[in-house]
Amino acid sequence: MGFFLPIRNWVLQTLTFLPASTKQNLPAMCRCFTSTSCRLVESIDPKAFHPEIKIKDGSMTKKKAGKDRLPPKPFSAFAAGSSKIRAMHNTNNAVANESFSPLNKVSPPDTPLSAKEWEKLKEEYQHYKKFEDVMFDNMIHDHSPVDVAKSLLVAVAKRDGDVEYSHLVKYLTICVYHKDVGEIYDIYNIMKAKYKSLEASAYSLLIKGLSDSPHWKETLVLLEKVKKVSFHSRQNYGDCIEGALLNQERNLAFELFHEMVTENLTPSLTTIKHFFDFCQPVKDDHLKNKCIDILYYLREHQIYPDESLVLSIKQWFESISGENWKGNLTSMNNSSQCPSCGHALEDINLTEEEFTNVKEKIKRDVIEGTDIFRNTSPQELERFQRFVNEHPPFDVVIDGLNVAKTTLLNPSSKTLLDVVFYLAQKYNRLLVLGRRHMLNNSFQWKKRDMDDMQKKADFFFTNNTSKDDPFLLYASFHSGGHCMIVTRDLLRDHKAVLSNSVTRRLFFKWQRGHQMVVSSYVPGKILTFEDALPYDTIVQTDGNTWHIPYDDNLSKRASYEIPVKWLCLRKK
Amino acid sequence: MHLLNLIRRSAFKLIAPKMTKYGLFLTMPSKISTCGTLRMIYLNKNISKNADEDINLDEWKLVVLSGLEKEAFEKASPEEEPNIAAIKEYIDMSRRLGKAAPENITEEQLNKLIEYPSVTSRNRYLAFLASKEMRKKADKVKKKRLQEEREELRKTMDNEELIPKSRLFRAIWDSSMDDLYNWKAAQAMSFGQPLVFDMDYDDMSEREMQNTVKQMMECEGANRKAVEPFHLYYCNLKEDGPYHNEFLKRYGDAWDNLFVTVTEKSYAEIFPRNQIVYLTADSPNVMETFDHNKIYIIGSLVDKSIKKGVSLARAKRLKLATAQLPLERYFHWKTGAKVLTLDQMMMILLTLKNTGNWKEALEFVPKRKHEGFLDPSLQHYIHRQKNKKIYEQNFKKKLLVEELSKKRLWNGLWEE
Repeated sequence: MGFFLPIRNWVLQTLTFLPASTKQNLPAMCRCFTSTSCRLVESIDPKAFHPEIKIKDGSMTKKKAGKDRLPPKPFSAFAAGSSKIRAMHNTNNAVANESFSPLNKVSPPDTPLSAKEWEKLKEEYQHYKKFEDVMFDNMIHDHSPVDVAKSLLVAVAKRDGDVEYSHLVKYLTICVYHKDVGEIYDIYNIMKAKYKSLEASAYSLLIKGLSDSPHWKETLVLLEKVKKVSFHSRQNYGDCIEGALLNQERNLAFELFHEMVTENLTPSLTTIKHFFDFCQPVKDDHLKNKCIDILYYLREHQIYPDESLVLSIKQWFESISGENWKGNLTSMNNSSQCPSCGHALEDINLTEEEFTNVKEKIKRDVIEGTDIFRNTSPQELERFQRFVNEHPPFDVVIDGLNVAKTTLLNPSSKTLLDVVFYLAQKYNRLLVLGRRHMLNNSFQWKKRDMDDMQKKADFFFTNNTSKDDPFLLYASFHSGGHCMIVTRDLLRDHKAVLSNSVTRRLFFKWQRGHQMVVSSYVPGKILTFEDALPYDTIVQTDGNTWHIPYDDNLSKRASYEIPVKWLCLRKK
Repeated sequence: MHLLNLIRRSAFKLIAPKMTKYGLFLTMPSKISTCGTLRMIYLNKNISKNADEDINLDEWKLVVLSGLEKEAFEKASPEEEPNIAAIKEYIDMSRRLGKAAPENITEEQLNKLIEYPSVTSRNRYLAFLASKEMRKKADKVKKKRLQEEREELRKTMDNEELIPKSRLFRAIWDSSMDDLYNWKAAQAMSFGQPLVFDMDYDDMSEREMQNTVKQMMECEGANRKAVEPFHLYYCNLKEDGPYHNEFLKRYGDAWDNLFVTVTEKSYAEIFPRNQIVYLTADSPNVMETFDHNKIYIIGSLVDKSIKKGVSLARAKRLKLATAQLPLERYFHWKTGAKVLTLDQMMMILLTLKNTGNWKEALEFVPKRKHEGFLDPSLQHYIHRQKNKKIYEQNFKKKLLVEELSKKRLWNGLWEE
């Protein structure tokens, strides 16, 4: 401990002369330590606080390998896995894994039993009202062999002279799991003879079971039958498509795919993977174009493939004869160039038309909404609009309260002051949004700090009962495409109230490109910003290259995050 | 045909084991041997040569198919529209699978079901109908049981007990209680403190509307039975609106005899604004005491989809004072929203009005939502402790960060 004290000043002084790469490592290393070592608390000298301010720009944060027990920290708040890491920082609770209820646990036998033996077993488990149901459920859970289930079915049939529908469906489940096609077809015939129509789960099971059998055409009949009584599921379509592809009926498969898409069902990634798997090797242009169309579908709907699908896509491209594609798995850093081929990725900025469209939707849905009094009041909105119109466009809009609460170590006003001063070095015109209560001189909000800040930035204070986020969005959109916002809020609630999914997607794109996040802050020492991404994460092409973002198997991506891994394909 | 099957099956059960043991296939002394049985014997012979084990795994198919003729015949009577019939069939099959679905479904319910846009919403509606049906059935059974018990009692009772004894009062029947309640309610109508229900929430779903009206009826009932009832106002109630229709459906003729002021006007028109307090859980102000001169307003709204701040927005628009119950102050809150049902609010307000005791009033907050009352004398102390804890934590964090930043700089230098 004593060793540190004399050295400290020297360290801080040298730091300013260090090469840039070392400085960029700092925040990453800081994270390594905050998460692992907590034992140090006792051995700390409280006087060691050093007032010297050293603020650094850490937009590029590289990782030191081998130092971190946590998964690598993604470089953006929206990158896949970020929310998981945040959750790990916030709580240490392990998620209790859901297990099969022990109450209903009956261990099914290993070999087929005779009817008498089943009766005996049933008496053992007398306390179950529906012994057969419980037994079948356990068989499904334990993946018992078909013969065992069949022997129970025989016992039931012998005793009652009939088999209940629920038993039949459960038996069918077991057969489908073991892919016993002959048995499935028999059950299908029995069901067809016995019942006029079935319900959704039996239909799904039959479609799944028959899709890779010689009777696969029956699945199309079943699909029509589902349509009559219930809604389609993407699983049913997926199984039918798989059946068609297995039997080399590619055109039928593509037809089913289009039918599915027009019914507003999102195909599962496995279904898409089947297309790329079964359409190799590519020889004619017709087939190639159809598969490319699927990639465009992914682009339009912002679906990101998973790892296995992306490998299939890679293989598919490499199998196109005469074009000589070369695929590469890579991960992007914060620059807009693909590290594998150096090709520039698509820009994240919205087009003029999209921008005005989103702007209007924001005003209508987010600020006014169903009742303008829920977020603000008409007088206040008018006052704000007047305020924005009187001022020239801003470069940065800061969510004052959100930024001020970044750390609890400081009075809020001090934190905000640091951020505002730092941003004032880089940008000309700042706007800070806050609430009226910030103006009352208090422990958290020092009058002096507030006065200092107002020299560097413009301020707008809303009522204490109003929401400030809608104003943040409005001010930023009003200032134009160059204006950034600073907040740690992911703005999910505002995204949710937008009326249609296209606008939601555009808003998210704008947000990725315009939101700066205070990533780490130590009062008086470190202030780093996570800059907005310069490129758009979406399936993209320019004819000679394809860039496809995908989810790797390791990181669990939340719905409001984007993948960081890419597949880079180019023609040689 | 069915009878024949039954006999055949039972006969087969008896005979089959013996046959395989002795190989007496042709000398079987059965007069009712039919084609099916013979085939089964044949299968038996082929599959299980082992004399001890006599499991024929495909036997169930024959059994099921043999019972088929009857079922198929029963079902051959399609008279309804094919689509409706198919959906009825579908519901029936779901029920057989053990899913929550009603046994009988009316035409009206079926049409409503078809209108639902997704599988989940349909399933939810079916489950609702199923539970309703189950409850009705259980009620019927219980009613029958009670009736039987009563009859039993009447039989065993001695005749002596039936002879009337001399009493000071006649038995007090429900009707005489009703008279008393009505008298008090009438008194409240002329002298009581107003309590307003705001009925201006139109965009509720049908289920929400039904729940609201049910809760309103409970409120009215609780108010009538109170020692000193409120004078209830149903404001913004539109004639022939969804509320009105639902009320008429529930109350029937009694709707016109209620001791309640029903009006299409807004409360802001009837009462002076400075007296009005809108009660809403979203309010920033906490209600300290019950004021007998104020007019409290409750939004009669059941909100299953979470629309935050709807009632607060309403009060803001009319520039009314707002308040929320001091739940935080009196409870260790556990789970659940701080939004209470209308009848709970009613009971709390009635108790407050008549006793002024918060603790007694807040007994009506559901027990599952809190972990007991806070000790009021300790409240200040607890608050201080909380602040102290936060302060200590922050201080520790501060020191930790200090130490870490130093260490980091040090390591950084070495790596360089």
